[in-house]
Amino acid sequence: MPDFSSLMSHGVFHLLAGLITLVSVLVVVSKHPVKSAVFLVVDLFLLAAVYASLESHFVAAIQVLVYAGAVVVLFLFVIMLLNLQPDQLRGMRFNPVEAVTLIVSVIGMLIMLGVSMSGKPTGLGDGSMDVNAIEAAGGNTYMIAMKLLTDYIWPFELASILILLAIVAAVVIAKKDKKPVVS
Amino acid sequence: MGLTADEFTIQFISTVVKFSILAVMLLQVPPVMLLVERRIPAFMQRRKGPNRVGLFKFRLYGVMQALADTIKLIFKEEVVPEGAQKVFYHLAPVFSVFPAFLIAMAIPYGPDIQVLGQTIPLSVVRLDVGFLFIFAISSLAVYGVTIAGWASNNKYALLGSLRASAQMISYEIPLGMSLIPIVLIYGSLDLNKIVEAQTTFLKWGIFLSPISFLLFLIAMFAETNRTPFDLSEAEGELVAGFHTEYNSTKFAAFFLGEYVSMFVLSCLASTVFFGGWQVPFFDVRALDQLVGLPGVGALVGFGSLLMKAAFFMWLYVWVRWTIPRFRYDQLMNLGWKYMIPLGLINVVATALVLAAVWFK
Amino acid sequence: MNPYIPVLMALLFGIILGGALSALAALLGPKKPSPEKSDPFECGVPMVTSANEKMSVKFYLTAILFILFDIETIFLYLWAKAFPNLGWFGVLEVMVFMVILVAGYIYVIKRGALEWD
Repeated sequence: MPDFSSLMSHGVFHLLAGLITLVSVLVVVSKHPVKSAVFLVVDLFLLAAVYASLESHFVAAIQVLVYAGAVVVLFLFVIMLLNLQPDQLRGMRFNPVEAVTLIVSVIGMLIMLGVSMSGKPTGLGDGSMDVNAIEAAGGNTYMIAMKLLTDYIWPFELASILILLAIVAAVVIAKKDKKPVVS
Repeated sequence: MGLTADEFTIQFISTVVKFSILAVMLLQVPPVMLLVERRIPAFMQRRKGPNRVGLFKFRLYGVMQALADTIKLIFKEEVVPEGAQKVFYHLAPVFSVFPAFLIAMAIPYGPDIQVLGQTIPLSVVRLDVGFLFIFAISSLAVYGVTIAGWASNNKYALLGSLRASAQMISYEIPLGMSLIPIVLIYGSLDLNKIVEAQTTFLKWGIFLSPISFLLFLIAMFAETNRTPFDLSEAEGELVAGFHTEYNSTKFAAFFLGEYVSMFVLSCLASTVFFGGWQVPFFDVRALDQLVGLPGVGALVGFGSLLMKAAFFMWLYVWVRWTIPRFRYDQLMNLGWKYMIPLGLINVVATALVLAAVWFK
Repeated sequence: MNPYIPVLMALLFGIILGGALSALAALLGPKKPSPEKSDPFECGVPMVTSANEKMSVKFYLTAILFILFDIETIFLYLWAKAFPNLGWFGVLEVMVFMVILVAGYIYVIKRGALEWD
């Protein structure tokens, strides 16, 4: 009896990875920013699928909720607010900075590929719990929640401060020309 | 997850069957609602509404009206506006349709049934993160509206779609926040478990967390762009808002998406607040033994859920034809300035009460 | 069985249904384009301004605040899941979290960032 689950997960991962790469290229190459944004949504959705295939259901759901469902909406709003005309869009003309960025990213990708193929563990995650152990201990979300609120309590509170900073920054930037505090 | 081939086959086939039945059922909702939306307000307004379209000389009280409307809609000419973004114009209706169907997958339609020795849950997908899956997918529904308006090269459509999407995202926060006390109380994100936890009548969500229900109800109406929040698509306001330039079956697609998501959210509300497939004072799961037939309990449970969802759908129509529309700024004020604080207070209060009861 | 197989099924079904409906419009029905029909709809009056005006910044602000409060909601969901095992300590932690965010919320209201959108 072939081990369907691991076979599937390998095949699924490679399929997803290939799709993600393809769609990412489309994001960068599309002339129209709205097209790029829509491809980005697809990309993030596929990334959530990768997380799901790694049994991180919570992170997958959050990825779709926050990234694909909120951040890209913001991008779309901004793109529509800017309202560029097709002749204002630059298309595929290269500029030197972008060329350098492209080369550096390709080199970076090759390095990462090399590292992952060498099979050395990256040291993230202690691998102490496999899927069944997590299920037995109460499930994916529960484990994340417990860890977040006990071992990693400081990052949790700092995250709230970070969100506060973001709120203040957004309001300040958007309201730069308006009058200050409404009493 | 080691499954034998037999187990896998049974589960796979049952999933396909469940999914097919669900898909067919969901596709019946818009035609039924088409009729309901015209007959019920007619009765409320002391007139009769469409009752003439019949089949083979039988009037059938206008039941075939939906069929007639659908056929008419299909054969209308599609006028693509000049200057519209071709790809997105055609793509936008898809974004409106698929989230509703995806969400429907996570809702439990009945108690687990036993097929050939295997327990089959009656939700097509059974996820540990049931709630979050639903919110994640419903946040994708914003794109249908946004892209549709933008792709139409019509500034009223664009404005309408921006306002509609701002409205939808603004009400996603109260929608999510209103269900946090439910998670606190029932201790799970999995909808199956939440339904199973609502065993007695008084443990239904609406009694344990009425403010959550209120918030969820209002947010539900706002998310589906229904009156009194339908400013972006109502006649007489910004023409038809984001779907001004859409006709024929594309319009039908938006329409389909809206009604199916209404139904799905109604099912969600019934599941979380009204006990889902539970029947009050009665254990549906014990029905199998009582009657002696397998699957009766599941059918009764399914019927119970449908009745509750039907109640919400009727509520949608009732509210639409009773309450006047809100102005856009009133709408946004309500969402941001009233519902979010109320949601937060609700969460804090529930947490404090539960902590006092459980931990002291 | 992988719980996401039905998700994939439903996704494909939804996309195919939406696509079919969309395509059906183009296939069935007469095709008689005319200049009047192709004009963007403006209650029968010819177009006054082009469809490319700048929109207000309120939408942008709404979207950003939405992201931030969405993230807060997710953290609250996490806490809600672990609530029974965390006791009063957990409640305290989340109170701190929420107080900081409520401060941000009050700032937003005071600043009038959410006015008459």
